Amino acid sequence: MSKTKINRRNFLKVLGLGGAGAALAGCDMPSYVTLEEGEEKIYSYLAPEEYVIPGVGVWYASTCLQCPAACGTHGRVREGRVLKLEGNPNTAVNAGKLCQMGQAALQAHFNPDRITEPLINGQPASWDDALALINEKATKNVAWMTGAISGHQRVLLDAHLAATGKGRHYAVETINARAWTDAGKAVLSDAMPTLHLDKAEAVLSLGADMLGTWISPVTFMGQYGQFRAAPRGVLMAVEPAMSLTGANADQWVAAKPGTEAAVALGVGHLLMTKHGLSLNSMPNATSAFQSMTPARVQDIAGVSEAALNKIADTLASRKPSLVVANASHAAARVAMALNIMLGNVGKTLTPGASIVADPLAPIMGSTKDLAEFAQNADAGKIDAVFITGANPAFIAPQGLNMAAALKAVGFKVALATCHDETTKVCDVVLPLSSALEDWGTHVPAYGGKPGVVHLQQPLMEPLHAETRGLGDILLTLGKSAGVDGLEAFEDYYGYLRTAVSAMIGSEQEGDWQRVLQAGQFEAPAQDHAFSTGSDVALGFSENADAGLHLVTVARQGLYDGRHANSSWLQEAPDQITKAVWDSWAEMHPKTAADFGLKDGDYVSLTTQGGAITTRIFTYKGVHPKAVCVPMGRGHTDYGRWASNGVNPLTIVDAHLGDWQSSEVLATATPVKISAVGENRHLVRLMDTDQQHGRKLVATISAQQFGRTQGGA
Amino acid sequence: MSSLLGNIFKGWSDYSKGNEEGGHHNYEHMYAMVIDLDKCTGCNACSTACYAENNLATVGEEYFGARQAMHWMRIERYFDEPNLEKAGSEADADTQSHGASFLPMMCQHCNAAPCEPVCPVAATYHTPDGLNAQIYNRCIGSRYCANNCPFRVRYFNFYDHQETAWPAPMEQQLNPDISVRSKGVMEKCTFCIQRTRAASNTAKNEGRAIRDGEIQTACQQTCPTSAILFGDLLDETSAVHQAWKRHQVQLGRYTQNKENPELRGYRIFEELNVDTKVLYLERVREV
Amino acid sequence: MSIERNKRKPFPWVKTAVAAVVVGALIVLGAQVFERQLHPESAGIAPAARVPGAEFPTDTFKGKDVPQPINYSHKLHAGDLGINCLYCHTYARRSKVAGIPPTAKCMGCHTVVGTDKPEIEKLTQMWQSNQSPAWNKVNDVPDFVHFSHERHLQKFLFDNPEMDIKNAPDVCAMCHGDMNQVGVAKKMKPLTMGFCIRCHENNQGPSDCTRCHK
Repeated sequence: MSKTKINRRNFLKVLGLGGAGAALAGCDMPSYVTLEEGEEKIYSYLAPEEYVIPGVGVWYASTCLQCPAACGTHGRVREGRVLKLEGNPNTAVNAGKLCQMGQAALQAHFNPDRITEPLINGQPASWDDALALINEKATKNVAWMTGAISGHQRVLLDAHLAATGKGRHYAVETINARAWTDAGKAVLSDAMPTLHLDKAEAVLSLGADMLGTWISPVTFMGQYGQFRAAPRGVLMAVEPAMSLTGANADQWVAAKPGTEAAVALGVGHLLMTKHGLSLNSMPNATSAFQSMTPARVQDIAGVSEAALNKIADTLASRKPSLVVANASHAAARVAMALNIMLGNVGKTLTPGASIVADPLAPIMGSTKDLAEFAQNADAGKIDAVFITGANPAFIAPQGLNMAAALKAVGFKVALATCHDETTKVCDVVLPLSSALEDWGTHVPAYGGKPGVVHLQQPLMEPLHAETRGLGDILLTLGKSAGVDGLEAFEDYYGYLRTAVSAMIGSEQEGDWQRVLQAGQFEAPAQDHAFSTGSDVALGFSENADAGLHLVTVARQGLYDGRHANSSWLQEAPDQITKAVWDSWAEMHPKTAADFGLKDGDYVSLTTQGGAITTRIFTYKGVHPKAVCVPMGRGHTDYGRWASNGVNPLTIVDAHLGDWQSSEVLATATPVKISAVGENRHLVRLMDTDQQHGRKLVATISAQQFGRTQGGA
Repeated sequence: MSSLLGNIFKGWSDYSKGNEEGGHHNYEHMYAMVIDLDKCTGCNACSTACYAENNLATVGEEYFGARQAMHWMRIERYFDEPNLEKAGSEADADTQSHGASFLPMMCQHCNAAPCEPVCPVAATYHTPDGLNAQIYNRCIGSRYCANNCPFRVRYFNFYDHQETAWPAPMEQQLNPDISVRSKGVMEKCTFCIQRTRAASNTAKNEGRAIRDGEIQTACQQTCPTSAILFGDLLDETSAVHQAWKRHQVQLGRYTQNKENPELRGYRIFEELNVDTKVLYLERVREV
Repeated sequence: MSIERNKRKPFPWVKTAVAAVVVGALIVLGAQVFERQLHPESAGIAPAARVPGAEFPTDTFKGKDVPQPINYSHKLHAGDLGINCLYCHTYARRSKVAGIPPTAKCMGCHTVVGTDKPEIEKLTQMWQSNQSPAWNKVNDVPDFVHFSHERHLQKFLFDNPEMDIKNAPDVCAMCHGDMNQVGVAKKMKPLTMGFCIRCHENNQGPSDCTRCHK
């Protein structure tokens, strides 16, 4: 009898251990198990270009149209599909970088809810029928409403307007830099001076979200990287609710909504009285500075003397500095005056330059045009309107009566890629090719080399057979309206090629290819005439209302709501609150406590313009007298991903606004809040704002940074 | 058969060598990152670029709230600054007196990754490039790796999101160089391995080494402030190597021996001895 | 009734372990034998060195007949006419995919050659109506496998000093078998992971998972 007799108990153990050996054979499946064979299809090419190799991407240069900045892009195309966008390293506007809206341009193009055929009164129709109807109805008192526009599209648009009775072009942009450009024009005779953030030692921003949505964020962000390198610049922000720029500020100051100009004046006061600066060339400004004592600033804006002193001390001790503002026309003018007083002109603020070919120059858009459109439409001055790149039915405050105004216009044509609130009320809807399928030229308003023209070219064949490019539609309309010189061109590509060849002074194929490769070409530019210190009235008036005010800000992402149909951008957490997929009202914890509210409570926000209901989010990055509801959500007809949130633009008071320009989006609308009794948790990326003792983001003082030069 | 045994012996030899100080010796590359938290503005471009490049599915509000989203790169936002000594009184204690601090967080590709040894099927392991790799088709979904990750940067596909994330024609945007993951599989940042492979491929064709800056991860390429730096630590000319050297941070240590402790390079959770390969540069604040 | 009788014998660990290893090895070897039973051609006899400097994978597979829109014959073109694989499947040297040649390549000859044949007429009809033929993929690997033709051709053909490009068919035969013997394309190698791994082991290819799975 062996000691190691294999009995039942042992046998199973042995088998278990030995079975592991069989696993070694697992990489080889028995051959009767087939992998895919004849399951997938390959569609071979017919006659591809020689540089098209299946499996290898080809990069083409184009232009991003997700916001008015018009950054240059490179698109990676494989097997006839555009897969990824990157910044064009050769375009100075963005120097190879791209913001998240630019990345999401892919979704705007591949959106499943795109309009695929022309519509007449909501019913599918042919292009011929649609164009015939347009020829019949849009013959006089024609208006165009667009967003920011430039380049040859603008040329054709202007020509069409001229040929159809000299109607008006309304350029509408909810997010604009009107306050700044108007102040630049008034004070410096230069609407768009060049700012050198990278050379500044200190920057004060009064509601100018340079890093987020102001003018050309990618340009400023590129400079910001250098601004922070040794010697490190200091960023200060004054605003009623934290923007992305404010979120990166070393010193953030909460000011009562609409009082940023007072704060700026207070800073000027201290610079004069405490730091001995003077501004003799602008007596109006000087007297305004003198009368705005820190005590008054505390009273008006709720900003403490200590905070005000800190700003003034920083600006006085760090040269050169830069003061930017967009909160109001008055604030922008004061900012200009401060820049002059601080000696920044010529250092961090220099003359801008514009393209000589004025018809191509960018029109940046404003909400003033939106208001005037509503007025003129209501007064019966507009018989027909073409709308593209704008969604007035969504962005207009209720006080403008946009619905009635649009109804008053007899014939409305929308050119759009996706259905939205405006296309819903238009008589004819023309399906537009997306920005990635279309040709165009664009002159960046800021940040590019002077006179540069960016080229937009299709990155793939149109996804839908019936869409047409904006330029093509403009060309067709122009021909029908009898615009001279268009008959020779079969399509917009032909027109553009001829126009660009004329501008670059060559008709050679090679030179055209070079322009396409670079994604840009340079046209003659001229510097802006620059005068320092026209003594203008600053236009500051106190906001007497002591109650709560609604402010609505734009966050880079959903922007003014145009990107709400992108699932990436809906799921991208809001930079400040980290919330996703829904709206919220930012409120100071003390204010919430005063009303007996807690996080997640739903409140009704009522202004003179209407009411919206959303839940509150409390944090200290908002002034106690402000309630901030970022714009971007609240769509009713914008595709499958956009049906969430509320639209604060509807309840902004359309009759307030700076005295100078009647900009519709005032910084402060008086608002009443009341709880509606519901509470739901706001979905956020993270529910904590604190590190709870862990060293996640370590912070050091600027002195320490200075000692080590940042480790450089 | 003999090569099978040969492989086993080679693997054992590599593994045992790896426990010596400084980590493995037979690495071809050691890809690492440097993220300057003072330059990061929290704009989120990197995260969206990652979605576009790596076929990430969006999950919608409900699943996001259940912490089942796929953001391989996420930007965290904090308002406190615990390491900074505050001088003087907080005059504006009622409201924020300074901005926020943003933290881009993604797989740290730890050299001593706690996620690697616990996978029951070895679906995650360390490549000769120094990357922590995730092999989707091998993963059986035990989720032990995600459990172990101290940074919580591993994301599990609890559901199939293909219908909702890529309704036609959105599937045309998918990057063919990267697998599309289905339900039951773990995924995470790969340091854009498809770009790394493409660059090695090109370099090999041209018979040369990979140049510094030739590989750009999607997040790095799009970052508007150039806050992210990516490169090979083993290449002494690379910017990443220089940065790690300048900030006196070494691999293979759980506490650094800096000559100048004020240098702002640090690694998160270094004391856990996971040997991460992302060097963060401390945020600076004007006090 | 001594104490000895109640003493438990220690478990024979060593003997159990040895038995386990022996059984395990038997199972492994048995699986290999079973595998080779199905394919006597691949019973470890290597053909004459077709690709100098490389060990030629000997497994085979009985592929099924996959219908194609055009009954293209490899036997005629690659076999009788001796056209090099890379003439049509040009992309193999520069890309992950070898690619099906664009119709323009076929029409290069077939605008004049064999225009009366029914398959050519079919092809010409497709060419003239701008229609891409919808080929059914015969040699396919799952989507999570990222195979690069370029790297393999570089290693065995272009970077191999003993190989000339006119012998490209021998390199292609490593994974595709002798295509000059078949009419319409058929899968002739298993293309399982084991097949790939064995060749990698024999030819000093990379063993890093992420080379193919990413």
